[in-house]
This record gives sequence, C-alpha cells and structure tokens, in this order.
Amino acid sequence: MQDSYTLRYDLDENMRPCDGTLRFTADGRVSALSGGVTLFDHSLEGVEEALVLAGVGCGTLFLKRKDGEELVLCRFSMSALFPAGEFCKVVNYYLQTGTASIPEQEEKRVCEKCGRTLIEGLKVCLFCYSRAGVLKRALQLLKPFVRRIVTAEAFMAVASILYLLIPIFNRWLIDDYLGPMEGPIAHILFIAGAMLLARVLGETIFIISSRAYNRASLGYATSLRTQAYAKLQRLSMSSLAKRTPGDLIRRVMEDTYTIKDFITDIGRWGVEQAVMFVIVLVILLFTNPWLTLLVFIPLPLVCIVLTRFWDFIHIRYERQWRQSSKCNSILHDIIKGIRTVKSFGNEDREIEKFSGQTRKLAQVSSSNEKLWALLFPGMVFFTGIGEFLVLYFGGSSILEGGLSLGVLVQFTMYIAYVYAPLRWLVSFPRWLADAMTSMVKVFEILDEDPDITGKEDALETPLTGGLKFDGVSFGYKSYEPVLKDINLDIKPGEMIGIVGKSGVGKTTLINLIMRLYDPNAGGVSISGTDLRDMDPAHLHENIGVVFQDTFLFAGTVYDNIAYAKPDAKPEEIIAACKAGGAHDFIIKMPDGYNTVIGENGHTISGGERQRLAIARAVIKDPPLLLLDEATSSLDVETEAAIQDSLHKLIKGRTTIAIAHRLSTLRAADRLIVLDKGKVAETGTHRELLLQKGIYCDLVMAQRQTSKKTELQTANK
Amino acid sequence: METTTNTQMTIGLAEAIDLGLMDHDKAEFYETPGGFTGFRYNGEDYKRIVLRRATPIADPSAYISVADHENKEICVIRSLSDLSDDQLKIVSGELDRRYYCPEIVEIKSVKDKMGYIYMEMRVTGRGEAFDKNCAVKDVSKNIRLLDDGRLIVFDVDGNRYIVQDMSALDKKSVRRLEPYLF
Repeated sequence: MQDSYTLRYDLDENMRPCDGTLRFTADGRVSALSGGVTLFDHSLEGVEEALVLAGVGCGTLFLKRKDGEELVLCRFSMSALFPAGEFCKVVNYYLQTGTASIPEQEEKRVCEKCGRTLIEGLKVCLFCYSRAGVLKRALQLLKPFVRRIVTAEAFMAVASILYLLIPIFNRWLIDDYLGPMEGPIAHILFIAGAMLLARVLGETIFIISSRAYNRASLGYATSLRTQAYAKLQRLSMSSLAKRTPGDLIRRVMEDTYTIKDFITDIGRWGVEQAVMFVIVLVILLFTNPWLTLLVFIPLPLVCIVLTRFWDFIHIRYERQWRQSSKCNSILHDIIKGIRTVKSFGNEDREIEKFSGQTRKLAQVSSSNEKLWALLFPGMVFFTGIGEFLVLYFGGSSILEGGLSLGVLVQFTMYIAYVYAPLRWLVSFPRWLADAMTSMVKVFEILDEDPDITGKEDALETPLTGGLKFDGVSFGYKSYEPVLKDINLDIKPGEMIGIVGKSGVGKTTLINLIMRLYDPNAGGVSISGTDLRDMDPAHLHENIGVVFQDTFLFAGTVYDNIAYAKPDAKPEEIIAACKAGGAHDFIIKMPDGYNTVIGENGHTISGGERQRLAIARAVIKDPPLLLLDEATSSLDVETEAAIQDSLHKLIKGRTTIAIAHRLSTLRAADRLIVLDKGKVAETGTHRELLLQKGIYCDLVMAQRQTSKKTELQTANK
Repeated sequence: METTTNTQMTIGLAEAIDLGLMDHDKAEFYETPGGFTGFRYNGEDYKRIVLRRATPIADPSAYISVADHENKEICVIRSLSDLSDDQLKIVSGELDRRYYCPEIVEIKSVKDKMGYIYMEMRVTGRGEAFDKNCAVKDVSKNIRLLDDGRLIVFDVDGNRYIVQDMSALDKKSVRRLEPYLF
C-alpha cells in the first residue's frame, strides 16, 4: 500500500499559474509544496470533511473542521477537478475510518508516444493513433462480406477492361479504315458493333457489380450499426451519461454510415481506378513509351496544385458545412418548440433568426462557389497539361510520319483514365480523415468496457428478502457526493417512504437499488446478496419501477404495458391497467387498448401517462416495487383511487416510494427523511411528527400551503 | 351612458417581486482566515458566501448574487460600482477566485484531429502570461464569437478562455481561428 496520495494543482492563492503538489500522508497530514517551498503542513485532527467547491473555470479544495471553520488547501483549473475529487475521497476515507487506504496513484492520462494529455473519455491519443490499425479493424469487420465484394470487384474489373477496349477499336477504325479511306464498310460496321457491344456489356456488368456491392455495403453498415447499438444497450448509465443523446445517435447512425461509405464505396472506386490506371499504363507503354513519358512529366506539378487547391478549398467547405449544420439545428429546435413560439407570438422573430442564418449560409456558399468557379478552370488546366504536350508532340510526330492519327486519338482518350485516379487520390486524404474520425468514434463505443457488468458466476438470489444499504456513498461526479454514508435496513414486505427536499438524493437512492450505478463506497444488498454479485438481468426482471419522468414508446397502449412482460395475457394487461387506474380512460378511447400513442405518449395527458407507467410496473408482479413520484401528476381524487389499488398490490412486497405530496405516503410502514445526502430521520409518520424535526416542518409547511389555498379559494 | 371603472389595481412585476437588492448600510464583506469570503448582513454572520454573476458574459459587474454556503440567496448586489473601495476589493477578489477565464493573446497553432480541435495558445491569467494547450470538442458550440467581437473558447475539461477583442488579435492568430468562427 502507498503511504501518500498527491494532487497536482495549477493555481496559487491569487489564481496565478503555479506548479503545486498537495500531499496526504498515511499519518493523517496534508501538506502543500510549490516552487520547492512547503506552503503548509496541517494535521487532519479536528477535521470533519474534505470538499471540492467547483467554480466557473476553476475549483477549490478545502477542509471543513468540526468547529465549523473552513480552510482552503489549494485552487486549480478545471483540468484538475476530477483528480481533486479523487483526493477528497482518499482524505474522507481516513477521516471516517481513522485509517488510511491509499489507492495506487492514478497517473495523469498521457500519451506514451507524444506526452500529450489524453482527452477524458478517450483511450487513444488523436495525434498518435495508428491509422493502419484502425483501418485494419474496420476491414476485419468486412470479413463476412468478402466473397460478395471480391465477386463485385471481379465484375468491375471486367467492365473496366471492356471500357478500355473502346479507344483501341477507335484507333483501328481511324488507322486501318477511315484514314486510308479504303473500307470495306462491313469492317467499319463490325468495329462500330464491337464498340457498341463493349459499351453495352460493360454497362451490364457494371450494374451487376454495383448491385453486388450495394448488398455487401448495406450488410456491412447494418452489421456495424447493430454492433454499436447492442453495445450501447449494455453500457452503464454512467458511461452513457458522459455523452449526449445526439452524440450517441450520430455514432450509431452517421458514423457507421461514413465508415460504410469509405470501406465499400470509396474502396470500390479505389480498386476500379487502380485497375484502370495499371491497365492504361501498360497499354500506353506498349503503344508508345515516349508519349507515355509526356503524360507523366507534369504529374508532380499537377499533384502539388491539386493538393494545395484541396487544402485551401476544404477549410472553406468545412465552414459552409458547419453553417448549414447550424441552420439545421435552429430549424430542428424551433419546429420542436413550435407550440411555445406560437404561444408567445414570436413567429416573426423566429423567421428573422432563421433567415439571418440562412442568409449567412448563402453568403458563405456563394463565396465558395465564386472561388470554385475561379479556381476550377485553373485546376482543369493544370490537370490537362499532359494532354497539350501529347497533342503537340504527337501532332508533330504525325506530320513527320512517325505516328499514326489513331494512336494519338487512343492516347488522348486514355489520358483521362490516367488523370481521373489522380483527382480521386487528391481528395482521398480528406475521405480517409473523415472515415478515421468515424471509425475511432464507433470503435470507442465498441471497445468501452461496461463498468456495471454481471459476473460470470452472478447469483440469481430471489428478491424476496430484505434490502440493505451499508455505508453507501455516491456521487454522479466523484467530487460532488450526492449520498453520504447511507445505512438502511429494510425488511421484506416493508413499505418505505422516502421524503426530503428536491436534490437530496431520493431518486439517486432508487438508481442505486436498480444498479444503474454502483456506489463509490459501501454496498447495497438484497436478500443478503450484494447487487454487484447479482445477475443484473435477474435484478431488473424482479423490480417494478415507475419513474418521475414517465417514458412511453411509440406504439399501442397494449404494447407499452406488455413492454415489461412480453408474454402477458390480455387479462393480465387489463388487470395491471385497473391497478394503475388506467383502464377507465383506455376503455373510453375508440381503439381501446389498441390505441396508438405517439412518441413518449404525447397524445395522452401527463396523468394518463403516469397511470400507464404504474400498470407497466405492476404487470410483472415484482417482489420489489420502486415508485418515484408515481402519482405526482394526478389529482387528489384519482391519486386516492390508485393508492387504494396499489395498497392491495403493495402488501407483501418490499416497496420504496418517493413523494413530495406527503399524504401519498400515509400508508408507509416507515418514513426515511433525507437531508443533505444523509439519513436525517427515520420512523413512522406519528413518530416523526413527535420528533418535531425536518419531517414535521415539511408536513406543517404543506398543511399551511393547502390551508392558504383553501382560504384564497373561499375568499374568491 | 354609464361607465364603470375597474377599481382593482394591477400590481406590476417590479412591485410584486422583491429582487432582494443589497442594503449597503447593513452589509459587510470580510476575508476569513481560512481563505474564503465571509459576509455580515442584517445581523447575520455568514462564514462562507458564494458570489454568482447573473450576466457573467454580457455584464460581469452587474447583479451579483450573494448566497450562503448552502446556496441560499441572501441578497443581490446591483452593481460592483456601488461598493466602497475596500468592499470592492474583497468582492472582486472572491469573484476572481470563482470565475477563472485566462485571456488568449496568441493562437500558435490549431489542429483538427478527428472532430477535436487542438489549440496551442499564449494566454494571460491574472497578469501573468503562459503557454496553454487545450482540446475543444464540438466546435460550433464551444467556440463562441459574440456580437461585441469577443470570443470564448470552452475546452474538454471545462476550462474557458477569452479573446477580449478579435480585432486586436494578430493576423496569424485570426487566420488560424477563422475556419471555426461563425
């Protein structure tokens, strides 16, 4: 075990940059060193807690003494915020237990090659990642489609060869028949027919090849997308919470599509262009090596011009793309909130806002188009230099009798095949960069280790036993603890009401029971089994939960209830809806249980949504019920009716219910009052009222509010 | 024709809602020995207060919320200019410790790597110049050009940097930033 734990901080007491080190030692002391000078060395005696105070762009680590005094230890920029939280955890463990448990000091995540700090959440250094490795990985995923792709490529090669025959036929036509003007016409017709046949066959084979390619590429995209989506489903809430829904959707949909485009479409054209280039080169060399040399003389210049051109133009197009994306996002935002826009009568303002952005987009696009129009002819000129050289020297050679007209025509036709891959190659780095970005993002998801996993020997303990919180501390961000040292012992079949002000950690408590997160310290167990040793699927199958923010999927009412139990019989669905108080409103709808409710149930009211959610939770007949503000959107009368049905169901099941409306919890066997992340009071409604503590204050405040409302209504 | 007048007067928002503006006669900010700022107000002594700017970008010196250590608002300072010199020094010091945003004086390089922008910069923080590297994700959101010519950059760690006047920044730096400005 280590005997000290350090934190590197970067701001001094006057917020000037510094290189300081804060050190906690196993003998219970904290010292700071900066510029070779020890700034302080404090004993932790009399200290209650180490805390982090997050500011804006910076943070402060301080000690809170038992006598209420507070002492700043160090200040830091946001880059040190997470390590500061970890430092606090180590110090607080010592303060709580009296013994130091110093973990292996986590080295600052830096790239081994270049020394740059790795971005939080990324495992690779974006400067040093191996492009070949990433590409190899993407290609490996292509394995199941290799046969189809090889077939498509073979067809493509045949089609290319057929296209390349046409200039040769042209040459024969000019040199052997049109030039000498001897005929016979049957031969001319034969060559023309051969050209037509080559074209028709080429196009037909091209279509076959394209279809084979499309099937392979769509299969590849589907496979990649499914893998990414499946991985998302398995990731823990804490992993998912690090990214926005938009980011995750982009990775699953757009990034997989970009990879597919690159690997299949660009790969396919790349192979075609390469095949064409090699064949044309061989034909040209065999036909006339000197003229071939002329084709390649301007090549370095052409490459330089094209690269410069793309470097310049791509930044401008990037900007155009971003502006277009901004317009899309404004449009998306406004259409989503159109009800709010109309209710405030802000249509004109929104029109102005959007048109302002589209005008900006038009300006950027127009400027780019102007530039393109100006530069493109120049670019074409440079890429056509070889053609001029061939025409000049080839023409001279014809006049001198050294070359036939047919050969020159064939040459000029082939030059296009030589320069086309070059134009393609110039834009290749950009496609590669885009594809690499998408690959790294998708592989990051595929490679992420879920931090909440079921062990191989995970237990399927019945959830009929008691529920225990043993010294549980937890924070969504380690430097901001939400729950602190929670100890609870809930008996089987007990109904527990969780009470407390907003933000004290009530929902967090439920999240831990569902094991959406693991505690930072301590453990949660059901029937004596720690949740970390239990099979997560088994746990979730045996918990019925109604969340504060009810989510319903697009589909019928029936499907939404059956979501919790796909094999439920109709009687079970109806019974569950009756228990949740949903049956009455469902049956009044023309399509009853087959009524389609829109995404997130937007076609029904908040109260109705909540009743469906209750029905969905109870249909599984779970031994453990978690109700997080399950009836908050209901009127008092409906709530009372549902509570009666729920009480019948609750009997014999361990139930944890959260409610702000304290009357909702009147039937609870025990109430737990949370305050500042800790259990402040425990007892029955009566016992807590007698304690005259936080719960009593909450009850009185609610009574006064309701009396005031009644009086105001009466006065009206 | 008889006319009726509505005798029920409507109370305006300003009258109905008390902003809780600070009464300067009852207020005293002080520095605690532990390195925080304390506040004596209306006979109460708050050992650690939190100062928050209502409009940190548009007008950082107006409407400063003063809250206790549990984030309960005590009062609001209408403007820093209303404070006496010694009080201003304490309040400004506390704000400086809560809001940290070094000023960018030069952009040395900007590299676009797989959706992240890596910037090498020269910045000044509390009068001291130093080099700083940062990575920015989601450029359209995290590099914000304001209407008044200021530019704010938010990096992946949550740090923020500001260019106070884009027109005063050297041409090379502007050119490096240009593709990412809107």
